[in-house]
Formats: sequence, C-alpha cells, structure tokens
Amino acid sequence: MNTAPTFAVVGHPNKGKSSVVATLSQNDAIAIALEPGTTRHRHQYPLTVDGRVLYTLVDTPGFQRPRRVLEWLRAHSLSASDRAETVAAFVQQHRDDPRFHDECELLSPLTEGAGIIYVVDGSVPYSAEHEAEMTILRWTGQPSLALINSIGGDDYSDTWQAALGQFFQVVRKFDAVRATFEQHLTLLNAFGQLEPAWEAPLREAVGHLSARRQQQQQHAAALIATALVEMMAWREQKTLTESQLAESSRDALIEQLRNRWFDHQRRREQRLRTAVEQLYQHHHLQRQETELHWHSGDDLFSEDSRQLWGVSRGYLTTAGFGAGAIGGAGLDALTLGTSLGTGALVGGLIGAAGSYFYGDKLQFPALRLGPLGRGLKTASFGPVQDRQFGYVVLGRAVHHWFEVSNRNHAGRDQLRLTGTDRHWLEQLDRPSRQSIQRVFERCRKQQTLDSAAVQNLTAAIGAAMSIYSNWRLNPP
Amino acid sequence: MPHRALSLLLTFEDQLRRDEAQSPAFLHRRDRNFALARQAEGKTTEVRDWLAHLQRFNGPESKPANDRRLIRWQHINAGFALLGLLLGSLTMAGLMFYDGRGRINLTVIIAVVLVQAVLAVFTTVQALAGWQPWRWLTRQLALADAGGTSGLRPLHPQLMARAAHLGGLCFGLSGLATLLVLVTVKDLAFGWSTTLNAGAESFYSLARALAWPWHALWAEAAPTLELVSQTRFYRATGGYHHTDPQLWGAWWPFVTMLWFAYVVVPRLLLLWFAGGHLHYRAGQLLQRHPGRMALYERMATPTLDTGSTREEVTTAPDLATATRLRPRPATCHAVVLWAGADPRSPGRALPDSQGPVVSAGGAASLADDHHALQAVARHVHPLAHPEVGLFTRAWEPPTAELADFLEQARTLWPKHTRINLMPLAADPSTPPPPHQLAQWLRFAERQRDPGVIICAGVGP
Repeated sequence: MNTAPTFAVVGHPNKGKSSVVATLSQNDAIAIALEPGTTRHRHQYPLTVDGRVLYTLVDTPGFQRPRRVLEWLRAHSLSASDRAETVAAFVQQHRDDPRFHDECELLSPLTEGAGIIYVVDGSVPYSAEHEAEMTILRWTGQPSLALINSIGGDDYSDTWQAALGQFFQVVRKFDAVRATFEQHLTLLNAFGQLEPAWEAPLREAVGHLSARRQQQQQHAAALIATALVEMMAWREQKTLTESQLAESSRDALIEQLRNRWFDHQRRREQRLRTAVEQLYQHHHLQRQETELHWHSGDDLFSEDSRQLWGVSRGYLTTAGFGAGAIGGAGLDALTLGTSLGTGALVGGLIGAAGSYFYGDKLQFPALRLGPLGRGLKTASFGPVQDRQFGYVVLGRAVHHWFEVSNRNHAGRDQLRLTGTDRHWLEQLDRPSRQSIQRVFERCRKQQTLDSAAVQNLTAAIGAAMSIYSNWRLNPP
Repeated sequence: MPHRALSLLLTFEDQLRRDEAQSPAFLHRRDRNFALARQAEGKTTEVRDWLAHLQRFNGPESKPANDRRLIRWQHINAGFALLGLLLGSLTMAGLMFYDGRGRINLTVIIAVVLVQAVLAVFTTVQALAGWQPWRWLTRQLALADAGGTSGLRPLHPQLMARAAHLGGLCFGLSGLATLLVLVTVKDLAFGWSTTLNAGAESFYSLARALAWPWHALWAEAAPTLELVSQTRFYRATGGYHHTDPQLWGAWWPFVTMLWFAYVVVPRLLLLWFAGGHLHYRAGQLLQRHPGRMALYERMATPTLDTGSTREEVTTAPDLATATRLRPRPATCHAVVLWAGADPRSPGRALPDSQGPVVSAGGAASLADDHHALQAVARHVHPLAHPEVGLFTRAWEPPTAELADFLEQARTLWPKHTRINLMPLAADPSTPPPPHQLAQWLRFAERQRDPGVIICAGVGP
C-alpha cells in the first residue's frame, strides 16, 4: 500500500506559497515574485529516496473567487456529511471553466487526499476577509496545517495564530526565506503529525535529509581541501627560447607570470564556489547575480583579505611547532629512539621559529628559471611561499560555504559575502592546526601529498567549518 | 598478476577523471543504481565490477595491455634486462680473464657474488620502505609527465625495484651462460689468494658454508679440504706450485653453483616477490583511494531527490507596466469599501464623498456586492461625469473577485463613470510602498478599461 502523503500548499495569492515550496523542496528554480498569480498551475515536487516517493509537495495557484465557490458549495450541500463530496463535485463540474481554473487547480489535490498547508503572510494584519477560503478548505475535510510566513518587516503573527487556530489542526510560524535547516525539519515533522499514517514517511524523510546535510558538509570540506592543495601548490610555467629570454626583462617576465598566477588562483576559487553551490542545490545562484559580489577591497589578494582571514603570529607559531616536531620525530624513529626525542624538539623549534619570523610577511612566489633542453628554458612562478595565503583561501572558502549552506532556496537576493572581525581559526584544536600547517608546508616545498595527509586536511577543514558555523550562529 | 592490478588502478583513475566534470547528483544516482541492482542479484560491488558495468555501455575498449603508461614501464623493464644481459656477460668475462700467467682468484669471485646478493636485498628493502634512490632516473625518463601517471607515481619504488631485479636476473643468467661457455672453450685455472693470515681451513670453512645449499645435490660442487689446500697461490712465487693441473680447474662446479645460488636464484625469488609486492601495493592504493571511498559512499547512501531539479516554472512574470498613478479626485460621488478596506482612520486625507458609502468584497456576500453596485448606480446615473472611489487594502493582492465586481459595475453604472481605485497602506500614517502599488497598476492595466485608474497619495 502506498502511504506516501501529498501536501498541497494553498492560500490567498501572493502570500509566499511558492517560497515555502522552494525552501522545502530545495529548488531555487521556482519562480517567486511579488505578483499575484505567478503560479497558474499546480506543480508537484516529490521527495524520493532511491526512487521511492516519501512525500509530495504541490505548489498551487491562489484563491481568486472564493466567495463564488463557497456560494456554489452551499447551494449544493445538504448536510455537513456531504461537504467533501460537494467540493469534489465542484472541481469535477468546473474543470474546464476558465473562471475557476485556479480554484480547480488548488482543490484537485485536496479531493485526491492531499493534506492542506495553508500559507498566510504574518507581516500584514489579520483580516476576516480570508474566511471564505478557509471555510472551503475546511469543507474538504483533509488534515490541515497553517503556516504563518513573513514576507514584510511587520509582525502580526499573534493575531493570525489565534484566528487560524479555529480553522486548522496545527498552526506554525515559518519564515520561508530565513528559516534554519532545523526549522525546516521541525516543520516536516509537524506535517507527519497531521495523520498517523504520514508520520513514518515524514520521519524517514527527515532522517535522510539530516544525513545528507552531514554528507554535504563532508563533501564541502573535501572540495575545499582539494582546492586549497591545488592553489597552494600551483606553479605558473612558461617555456622560452634563449632569444626570448634575452629580449624580455626579468621584471616583465615576473609581472606576466604573476598576473597569470593570480588569474589562475581567482578562477580556481570561483570553481570551488560553484562546486559548493551546486552541492547545496543552488543551481541558479550565479544566474541571479552575474557574479559573486565582493565588497570593495575584498579581493583574494588584498591586504584587507589578509587582515580578515589570515591568522595571528601565535597561531602560526604553535602550528609550525607541531608540524616541525612531526618532521623531527622522523629523525628519532631513524635512530630507533636513541635521540630521546631530541629530533622532535629541534624540529618543533625550527618550525616554530620559521613560522614566527616569516609568518606575517606577505611572501609571493619568486621566479625560477631552469633548463629544459634543446635551447629552451622554463620560467616558473610559484608555489606560494606565504603560509598566510592558505589561511586566507581557507577563511574565504569556509565563509562562502557557511553562507551557501545556510541560504534557503526561496532567497532571491544577492549572495553578499562580507568579512568578519575575528580570527575564529584560533579556536581550532591543535591536531587540526598541525594537519593544515603540514599540508601547507609540503605544498610550499613541492612535495607530494599522500591520501592520508589529504584526508587529515579534509577532517581539519571539517572541524574548522563546524567551529566557524558555531561561531556565526552563537556569536560571543 | 601485477599487470592486472595496475591496469585496474589506472582504469579506475581514468574513470574518476572522466567523472570530475559530472554533477554529484548524477554520479550518486548512477552508482547507487548499480549497487542496488547488484545487491538484488546477490552479486558483489567491487571496483572491478563497477568498471565492467560502466564499460558494458561503452562498447569494446582498447586492451589494458595497450595502456601507454604501462608500455613505458615495459620499455624500462626491457632496457634493464638488456643492460643486465650485456653487463652480466662482460662482468663474467672480466672475472674469468685468464692468460695463463696467474690464477683466477676465487676470493674476488666470492666478493662479487656477495655484493650482488647484498644489492638485490637492498633493492627489495628500498622498495619495501618506499625509498626512491633512483628518483633522478625516473625524472630523466620523464615518467612524471602530465599524461596521467599520478596513479603510478606512488608505485615508482616498487616498479623500479621490479625493473632492477629483472635487470639483475638477466645479469646473473648471462653471467652464468658466459661462465659455462668459457669453462667449455677455455682452460681456466682457479685458485684462491688473500693477504690476510688465513689458513686453508678457514677458506675451506667459508667455501663449505657457501656450498651448503647444494652440497647434498652436487657433491663435486662442494670443495674438499685437499682442493682448498692445493689451490692456494701467492703472487710472490709467480703462481708456480707442484699442484696437479687438473685441480686448478676443479673449482668450476663450485663457481657455477655459487653464481647460480647467490646471484641468479635471489634475483629470481626477489623478482617474484617484487611482482607480488607491486600487486599488493597497487591493491592497497586502490583500497585506500579517496575516489574508491567516495564511490562506496555513493553506493551505500540512498539517493535523495527533494524535487530540486524540477524546472516547470523558471520564468518570473513580466513586472513592467506602462500604467501610471493618477492624482486622486477632489470629490467622489460614491465610495465603495472593498474587502474590509476602511479609509476613515484618523490622519488620512480623503476626497470628499457626496454620495453613498457601501461595502463589498471580502466577508460580504455576493448578494451584498450586488446591492452595493445598485446603490451606487442609482446615485451616479443622473450625473454627467460620475467619479466613484473604490478603496482597497494595498497589501492584499487584487483578485478575480474584484475584476468581476468591476465588470458588473460597468454593466450597471453609466459608461463614462470613472472608477478611482485607491489602495490604502496598513499604516495610516504612510502611503503604500511602491511594490504594493505596482500590483494594482498591473491589475488596472489588465482590465483594459480606461475608466479604471489607480490613484496615489491616500496617506497623511
């Protein structure tokens, strides 16, 4: 027996029905506009797991002639027991009548057994004028829930809540644009409470959505780790003949390669952002805005970025000590422990000193020339020698991830990425700091990374993301 | 065996590279479908099965043996083998150089053999430890090119060790062959000599120890104390002794077996071991491959579709309108309050009303609407230029009910009646915001009735 419930999102025109559906179905392709009648036909958005439908949301047009419908219903009903049947008869009779197209579209799923999700705008005053449509919905006899969505800045939700309670089983507040993911899940659980048979599929859906949320964070950490390694290790190369080398000045060559190196890093960061947005199903984010907007001066390579996203000297020193100590411990292992840990200590001190003295200097990669054979030379620029560069990239990537992962699919405003004023990474635990620092060092020295190092980096970035998220959601 | 493991690893990495451009949702759906189908059939979901599944839809492919990355290593192996053959022959010819004036010193041969054995062991140790003392050579051979050798790069120590053992084996075999040819075609005289104060007993003990592996199989190949005692020579004496000349040649079985047991056999065994180690490491790399973990996660995780990819409605409506706000009339001959709109709040500046004020829409019944229309009609019929004010709530979007009301008004009221729609803001102290007025302007435009206008300025 198929127990997958269907929920028809209904209401007065222009009260945010499509916004609610967009957020719950995580679909940013649904047209949302401050215009009544944007939705003229019902659209179904099933949630499926391995092709099995757990529930279906139906976006419907708003009521256009509720009083005329109610008049017809009253004229054709004898008692309360035939009301649902009368609503079905209305739909049957007016299916081809253009005057009642919208009503038939929104009532059809209800006559087929769908639950009612009635959406009102809590930012405008309550009005008894909506009671005709609420009465029609009550006539369908279907389980019902009212959602108080807030489109504007004012709040009349208390009066709405009191009034809606008379018509609907459950009343919930839900801001389709600003609701958190946890509120999203709570709402789905509330849908499951409307009918005993609907509880299990909704609970299962919530479980899958929660699990996917965690996987998305892990995947985002892996995407950031891959991009970070590539950017830290990137070398811009150019092959030149001896005559070309003689003709061009060293400064011009450095300038040319540096610009190409910068362009590559910017493009790579954009690719990372696109991948994270796709991961969170924001397929239309870039189309809504020609490109991600950054505040003036907030470019990847600006000193402002460095101030915002770089880490302190103390952070670098402790992370550098850890990374150096791990290298030194290798010497101890070679001497079968006879050095009594001296290698680890010396390595740690060297790492810490290097980080302390060079950590706050904005070092860019230098030009290197090398023979290639057959009269050719290769000029290379990179990888970046500045450890802070990695932290700048990481900070911006984590910030972007947070904004995207906490953005609802009903949002149509520009994604604005602004800076913060705290070095949140300093809350990161020591092993994670060391994992990050070690990878940066290996990239800087052009050493290959094994899969374990990349996995450690991914785990450390995952920890950094959790810390950043916690810091943003629970500011000190 | 290692060739299969390497092919599998490379094919897997190639597939991952092709998958890079695919959307995560597609990959998840594809791999989850594969896993579910295999599980339903009670079959395994190993990487090999997965690749075979993908290949089945692509038609025949080039054989793994034709992979140019593996061919390159086959060339390296062949190069090492040829070099080993050449060097083995030359080395043995050098060791067996005998012009009749001296003896071929067994001490030197034993030292060379032992060095060979040590080198073979060292090659295996470096492969086990993952060292790459020959990294410069791999760079010279351009193995670290951008042609997708990343899968093989971590295996370079094992691949190089295998090539080295193959070269060593060829070295040993060609040396052995050279030795046998020389023994056959030349009259060789072996002896032993050392500066150290070692007696024949010591050398005998050493030779017996070295001959231990084969002494039971070939007794002639294990020297006797007499042979050892009789074949010692000193350069100072010019090498002349009263020794039976046949004894100088009696060492050849020992030398042959020494070379075979300590040069050829170790290389053979270690070559076999290197192949197994390479196979093991390739399998281990595949097991720990991040792409494999991601693949298994996709296979194990149910595909979840929230309806996020459905794009039935992608185009937002055209919100442009040519209709403009008009000034409100100074006087209205009748006023209709639509759907609960009430302009009689303190602080609102309203036009004077010289006629009836009626309510319609919203909570009123359709009969009430009809009565209101008739009341207004009675009042405005005698007028030359009737002006009717229709107040609405600006925040409630205009619906078809209002359109119906206006349509009825046109049939009941004089044709030239101007209907002034005046949206009211929720806050009486402010005018309606532009986005609320815009929906009323577009509504008036849709009516295609020049007598229906939207008036501005119903505020303080």
